[in-house]
Amino acid sequence: MGDYKLSEQEFNKIRNEVLQTWPTGAEVDFDEAVEYQKAIPENKNFAKVLWKAHKNGVTLLQPRAGVALIKDHIELLQYLESEGEADLLPTTIDAYTRLNKYENAADGVEKSLAAKTSLLNGFPAVNHGVKGCRIVTESLKVPVQIRHGTPDARLLAEISLAGGFTSFEGGGISYNVPYAKKVPIQKSIDDWKYVDRLVGAYEERGISINREPFGPLTGTLVPPCISHVVGIIEGILALRQGVKSLTLGYGQGGNLLQDVVALKALKEVANYYFKKEGFEDYELTTVFHQWMGGFPADEAKAFAVISWGTAAGVMAGADKIIVKTPHEARGIPTKEANAQGIKCSKQVANLLQGQNILLGGRYQEEFDLLKREISDLMDKIYELGDGDIEKGTVAAFEAGTLDVPFAPSIYNNGKILPMRDNEGLIRIYNKGSLALSDEVMEYHKARLEERANYERRKVSFQMVTDDIYAISKGRLIGRTK
Amino acid sequence: MSKPMTVVLGVIGSDCHSVGNTILNVFFTEQGFKVVNLGVMVSQEEYIAAAIETGAEAILVSSLYGHGEIDCAGLREKCIEQGLDDIILYVGGNLVVGKTDYSLVEEKFKKMGYNRVFSPEFPLEDMAELLRQDIRKRRQERENKD
Ligand code: B12
Repeated sequence: MGDYKLSEQEFNKIRNEVLQTWPTGAEVDFDEAVEYQKAIPENKNFAKVLWKAHKNGVTLLQPRAGVALIKDHIELLQYLESEGEADLLPTTIDAYTRLNKYENAADGVEKSLAAKTSLLNGFPAVNHGVKGCRIVTESLKVPVQIRHGTPDARLLAEISLAGGFTSFEGGGISYNVPYAKKVPIQKSIDDWKYVDRLVGAYEERGISINREPFGPLTGTLVPPCISHVVGIIEGILALRQGVKSLTLGYGQGGNLLQDVVALKALKEVANYYFKKEGFEDYELTTVFHQWMGGFPADEAKAFAVISWGTAAGVMAGADKIIVKTPHEARGIPTKEANAQGIKCSKQVANLLQGQNILLGGRYQEEFDLLKREISDLMDKIYELGDGDIEKGTVAAFEAGTLDVPFAPSIYNNGKILPMRDNEGLIRIYNKGSLALSDEVMEYHKARLEERANYERRKVSFQMVTDDIYAISKGRLIGRTK
Repeated sequence: MSKPMTVVLGVIGSDCHSVGNTILNVFFTEQGFKVVNLGVMVSQEEYIAAAIETGAEAILVSSLYGHGEIDCAGLREKCIEQGLDDIILYVGGNLVVGKTDYSLVEEKFKKMGYNRVFSPEFPLEDMAELLRQDIRKRRQERENKD
């Protein structure tokens, strides 16, 4: 195991710069923050609550939520906690903050005050500062996590962790490629190294902070092998900086077999690579995201998608499920709609909790295929990096051997095209330069031909488009009319 | 054959939603338009620069992430400043924060100077037909002026 840790000297140098990028950075005093975190009870610590659920085999539910103003944000989260029965809470960050545009966020706060409603799509935690964050976390009974999509989250991490949040979502790939256009992969990896080192520094002082790479990526027909590889890489990079509590995620595809296989394989394969990299001392949990692509606008139909996601997540044995709301297709949900999404999910989760689901049939076949795909992609990364995962990742994106579908980043090859097969499993129609072996691709091709024959049309880009719309139009597979 | 209809396409502001943009790019191209696609995270200045450079007849603005109200305001005024007085401005997507009655959204954006405002479900074929009509009408009006 090499020494990849960011040195204290280097870390402090960056810290001095980062804390000066917005006035609230001056509120951060690390030693004071450590004392503050120490006083937070265990039942409000994200890492501890999640690990306990993991050991008890319980699936926890967490919504997404965030508005511009502190008072409204607290009211929203308290409502989701009491009326919504949320087990874990989020603070979803607005899109200006995610791109370090704190001046625009300040403008959004002003305009929201004037309009008496949130004009921002999340909570601008940097603008509200350490003090504002503490008012929020102190008003709640359950653990709260920062959820965002920030390529450079260094200041956000400093402020929010000092502000009493005990979990931080994201990673150098998953919060760059789906969320940004012009950020080089090496740059976001470096900036996330800082975040992970900060979490590591808290861990060294006895404070558990949970870290969660963002599994679903673009949320749109992402083949599990691609998101799994990203999760594994980000996991290794986090462990290298001293992270101990790690949650890997996966976004629901919609075919039950594929989803259960994917989540089970994620855990097994991640453990394999973490051990291979020399790590033993960590707590790995999983999160399952209810369908992340386009939703039906009809609320009854949206509830069906939400229920199906919960069912798949519980059957797959996820430690946590991120829930959607009946307003998904239209806009940021009201607190009532958000609570409905959690309650609907809770009812399904409670019905399924403890049931032992037998999966036979093609389970093993699909499991082995996914493992094979992951090892194809990982082997290439190690090869391109001369054995080093970080170097290999940057090279893999450049060569397109790792490629995320529909992503906005110019540093992503963007050639891979996914498509559903005749049973709705997500397969790969065009691999671009993905490092998948011919054998694997032949299997995908055969499955897609099956569908094409059934639909009496040729495998084509039109099918990809049809699949993108399918769930929002009421079906899993984008069949011809 | 008449002159091809050139349109500038992009997702405005700090918005990263790229899936709809990918589909619209393919769709308009298939429909015979000449598409200048700027992708996601496009500033008002970039739309205008691209429209001037390519002589585009319409700018098609997308906003999905909720900050549309802040990001879209002022584009018409900037177009006028740059001499694009009568350029056609369309806007579509999840334009405001929260599930909102479409007629309220339409009113708001029409006031900002957008010629047409589209909800996410509006049928694309119908929209392309409206765009063709609007472009023809604009060409006619320009000819009449000369
Ligand atoms: C997939 C998705 C994501 C992915 C996007 C990946 C990517 N890079 O593209 C991820 C997970 C990364 C993501 C992130 C975020 N998302 Co998002 N996302 C979605 C989701 C589920 C589907 C979008 C999609 O791809 N649809 C499929 C395509 C084909 O449809 P479309 O985008 O609507 O585009 C079509 C039409 O709108 C129309 N159209 C679009 N533009 C135009 C323009 C014109 C002129 C015309 C005529 C038509 C037109 O034509 C397109 C093609 O048919 C939607 C909700 C939904 N629709 O179900 C939320 C949604 C758009 N996201 C939302 C938000 C807020 C965000 C975040 C800010 C996080 C947050 N706070 O929750 C971040 C974005 C950060 C940023 N900087 O932008 C909100 C917006 C809320 C609002 N307006 O009130 C939505 C509505 C979800 C919700 N209800 O909260 N998201």
